[in-house]
Amino acid sequence: MAMKKFINQPQNIVPETLEGLALAWPDQVRLVGSNIVARAKPKAAGKVTLVTLGGSGHEPGLSGFVGNGMLDYSVAGQIFAAPGAPRCIEAIRLASAGGAGVLFIVLNHAGDVLSANITMDMARREGLNVKMILTHEDIAGGKNPDDRRGLVGFLPVYKVAGAAAEQGCALDKCLEIAERMERNMRTLAVAVRTATHPSTGQPIFELGENEMEIGMGQHGEAGTGRMQLKSADETAEIMLNMLLEDLDVKAGEDLLVIVNGAGATTLMELLILYRGVSQLLQAKGIQLARGKVGDFITTQEQAGFQLMIARMDPELMALWNAPCDTPGLVVR
Amino acid sequence: MTDLALMFKGAAAQIRAEHQRLSALDCVAGDGDHGSTMLRVVEQLEQAAGADPREFLRDAGWKIMGVDGGASSSLLGTFFTGMADMPGSGETLDCAELAAAFEYGLAAVRRQTKAQPGDKTMIDALVPAVAAFGAGKTVLNGLRQAADAARTGAENTRNLAAKYGRAKYLGDKTLGHPDPGAVSIALLFEGFYRGLAESKGETGNAGRG
Repeated sequence: MAMKKFINQPQNIVPETLEGLALAWPDQVRLVGSNIVARAKPKAAGKVTLVTLGGSGHEPGLSGFVGNGMLDYSVAGQIFAAPGAPRCIEAIRLASAGGAGVLFIVLNHAGDVLSANITMDMARREGLNVKMILTHEDIAGGKNPDDRRGLVGFLPVYKVAGAAAEQGCALDKCLEIAERMERNMRTLAVAVRTATHPSTGQPIFELGENEMEIGMGQHGEAGTGRMQLKSADETAEIMLNMLLEDLDVKAGEDLLVIVNGAGATTLMELLILYRGVSQLLQAKGIQLARGKVGDFITTQEQAGFQLMIARMDPELMALWNAPCDTPGLVVR
Repeated sequence: MTDLALMFKGAAAQIRAEHQRLSALDCVAGDGDHGSTMLRVVEQLEQAAGADPREFLRDAGWKIMGVDGGASSSLLGTFFTGMADMPGSGETLDCAELAAAFEYGLAAVRRQTKAQPGDKTMIDALVPAVAAFGAGKTVLNGLRQAADAARTGAENTRNLAAKYGRAKYLGDKTLGHPDPGAVSIALLFEGFYRGLAESKGETGNAGRG
């Protein structure tokens, strides 16, 4: 089937998307430099700043989380491709102006990590105070943390580290909080229908009529197993049990749960899934302390969702509940 | 035109002739954009500028990293900025100096990626290419041998299952298709050779074993 998308020239997709973001949320974000999304009003000097990088085509991720209480700068790459080190270091230099140091949050994908490592080399050479954290919570990658991709878990990491920075925590403290959040979260994705690459018009993977694939990544990377499409409750149970086992969750613990839509899965479905997760947790005596349902990181019109669970302590929970105001997430 | 500029121009011509094949190969394991990424890479390669080889290489590498083409452009950019860190004055580039520069470029790439030979990546073409150039007697002869070694290395990735990069999640599904990154390296070295050979009035087969 031919691609049906409202775009103009394929090569203008990224700049036009970012311009639209800045026009639609003028009180939250503005564009600086080349494809760098910054806060509309820079954070006061003396506070730690947060910078991230990532490919485009996943809106609102990642640039949609720039704003008060979360990110300071987001470096947007091409469709599904990381931005290069030259623009990342440009953002790091801007973020360093406040003088309190920069927390550089990177989702574990080969291209992003490469750009980030080259950027960190440059930052060290320039004497900039930058600490990097890699998010890798996708349990489909197996036991080796290097093989675990960064999925929607970026959201709580941006959120708690951003809140800590806003409250004036030092860089080491912001990093410690981000790392604690990262260590205590797990995500699993499932896909039921492919997306088309908006530049090429080609499907990014193939999946049979009545199949679903648990563990598929954000770009059609193969997962752990294809199976017959199942009901919401059955799918939620399979995925939740894998996550609970991997994170070794015990009865009585407090969890944050995120159900993230891949782009074409409706809010109706996501809510049914969330309900299923909630009931399963209740039956196991595990507290669903907080939850979020919605599209935070998408892959065009891919159908499917990501289920994330995170073990929360009182400090992380307070930071998660702190106010933020970004295009993709508002907490009052 | 300097030798480097001629080599880069030749590389650009090779990629332009083959970019559709690169994208098609990338559809097997990636998102099918490798050909268009490489077109943007060689556009930058042609625009490199600098007073001497060291500056020229650094400018090329930095420009390539700026095309935002994911891992491919970061690693290729790193290859050229790594070459620029070669020992010596950096003001000339004879056969021995170019061999050292290639070694430095390869070392810089290998510091940034954990991919090893046999993991079905550009490393499978780059490692033999750099080694073959080092055995060459002249720049032209070295480039011919490097291009042949890179092509063989790229061709051999057909029999490998991806273990690194985005394609690793597909593993055995990548068997039977060469790695597009390795094929690109082979095309670049073929272009380096042809760009220089044509300027010196030699035929495409000159300097072969």
